[in-house]
Amino acid sequence: MSKSSSPVAGAARIFDLSLGELLWSRRTIFMALVVGAPVLLATVARIVQASGVAPLRVNGSRVDAVSIFGMIIWVLFLRFIVPVLGVFYGTSLVADEVEDKTITYLFTRPLRRGAVLLGKYLAYLACTTLVVLPSVMIVYFMLVPFGEIPRSFTALMTDLGLLAVGIATYGALFTFVGAWLKRPLVVGLIYVFGWEQFAMLMPGYLRRFTLAYYLQALVPHAMPADEGVASLLRSVFSETPSAGLSLLVLVTVTVVSLFLAMRVIERREYVLEQ
Amino acid sequence: MTKRTQRFVFLGVAILVVGLGTGLVASYVGLPNLGIVGSDGPAELAYVPPDATVVAFADVREVMDSQLRQKLLKISPEADHGADSFQAETGINMQTDVDRIVATISGTPDPSNPANMRPLLLARGRFDTARIEAAIRAKGGTVEEYNKQRLITLQNELGLAFVEPDLAVVGVPASVRRAIDTKASGNNVTSNADVMRLVRDFDSGNAWVVAHIEAVTSGNVIPAEIKQQLPPITWLALNARIDDGVSAMVRAEARDEAAANNLRDVIRGLVALARLQTAQHQELAQLVNSLELGGQGTTVSLGLTIPPAVIDMLGALRGAQPPVAPQGIPGATGPRRRLPPAL
Repeated sequence: MSKSSSPVAGAARIFDLSLGELLWSRRTIFMALVVGAPVLLATVARIVQASGVAPLRVNGSRVDAVSIFGMIIWVLFLRFIVPVLGVFYGTSLVADEVEDKTITYLFTRPLRRGAVLLGKYLAYLACTTLVVLPSVMIVYFMLVPFGEIPRSFTALMTDLGLLAVGIATYGALFTFVGAWLKRPLVVGLIYVFGWEQFAMLMPGYLRRFTLAYYLQALVPHAMPADEGVASLLRSVFSETPSAGLSLLVLVTVTVVSLFLAMRVIERREYVLEQ
Repeated sequence: MTKRTQRFVFLGVAILVVGLGTGLVASYVGLPNLGIVGSDGPAELAYVPPDATVVAFADVREVMDSQLRQKLLKISPEADHGADSFQAETGINMQTDVDRIVATISGTPDPSNPANMRPLLLARGRFDTARIEAAIRAKGGTVEEYNKQRLITLQNELGLAFVEPDLAVVGVPASVRRAIDTKASGNNVTSNADVMRLVRDFDSGNAWVVAHIEAVTSGNVIPAEIKQQLPPITWLALNARIDDGVSAMVRAEARDEAAANNLRDVIRGLVALARLQTAQHQELAQLVNSLELGGQGTTVSLGLTIPPAVIDMLGALRGAQPPVAPQGIPGATGPRRRLPPAL
């Protein structure tokens, strides 16, 4: 096989190899803890609810199950789990190979470097979506009573879709950062826990330079509908772009980031520390 | 891909597929239709016409046997007078004969025809049909055959038919005849998708009501001035579980999202006011804190739990009140009732 032949087949081979590596690495324990927390929370809420006590109260009023689920999606998945998984996995796709000095083995294969990166990115996508989305599904069925499903199922589908888009976008951005910078994890953590948090709370146009701004615009329905915490969330997230524009920006960021990452990895000489 | 990875991928995909499949079926087919969860409402709905605007259900046996009722009877022994008057009219003893009851009102209420506004009752239980028929005939009732059913009528005010050995249909004669026809034709309320959507959602607990408020208020029953003040609600549903306390859920469907938001704001304000008023009373504060306001879009829901402690407190308050004695109005010259001599 020559390096120029069938990048898709090459990406598929790397995907096959990397999926197992990603799934059964030490990071999996971290991912299991991060994704297991909402499931645990939902289990506790369900047990508390079954005993007749309200699992969540805002200003003394009980919050219904669909709103609790909306809060978990907003606060845990959208604002924490998706960005964190994007940073940890995205930055590690290339950086880990460099750190472990195994990148040479990948680059000496008869595959284009861009295909290697694409295969690894697709493995990240499969690995995280196959963990995050089932977790959301379990949380949903743990919290929401059967009678409420017809009213809230469309919102769940939207939530699943936007979480998948979020995973793809954060992952692509940090794959590029991982391919480009030497210490990408620090940059990623500063971006997610520093810049995005700061910009989202600032009035004005700064929030337009965050992914969270466009991601949240896709889920106005999932925002908790009642008083208290909801009012706070609504005040913070009140200014949102249209869903079409948000989707366009997120897809553009994903494609451009992946393109840049592939371009960087094709041209860059990785010097392994001895 | 290793076997371990394959198993993981399979598990993840399986959870997603099962979850999405369950959700899709629940949303577009309805789990009750598949007999997975709940049912298509009580079997008595086969007698309810498709244009029913109010459908209510009560598991009379559970409610009668509940600790709540025993407590209420201690607090207010006259609470059963309604059941007594029903027995006097129909010969059916609600406390001993009836297990469960379905009540319904059909069509648009017309104040010029009061009979049209009286509910049709479908009572399931154990009936001494001969004794009940004899009791009504003794009052001047007549018996006729209608659509292979024995219909007992009294002065065009009351109709009663035992359409099944354990099912009595009670109402104005025209309503009872229509119920019999509905059963025979098979075109009943279960074909009314709007009613059944709420019946399926609220067919839990031991009492529930589903009402098409828009239809009920569209007649001239309610004065226009009052009608203007009513919130723009199209459907209202309530279910309750009555045992030693009460857990209830009310759901209102507004005409549009703006109306639903207004209604939520009003309820929120009332809850805040109630919280302010009950801050000094722990039991009542518990009741107010149990209020659970929710709903999305055009739907507004309110959950409520009345714990046994609140019932006990009401009983204690009632017990502490001095007996109400008739009092003369100052300045009134009318004859005063003579009190019985002290024994």
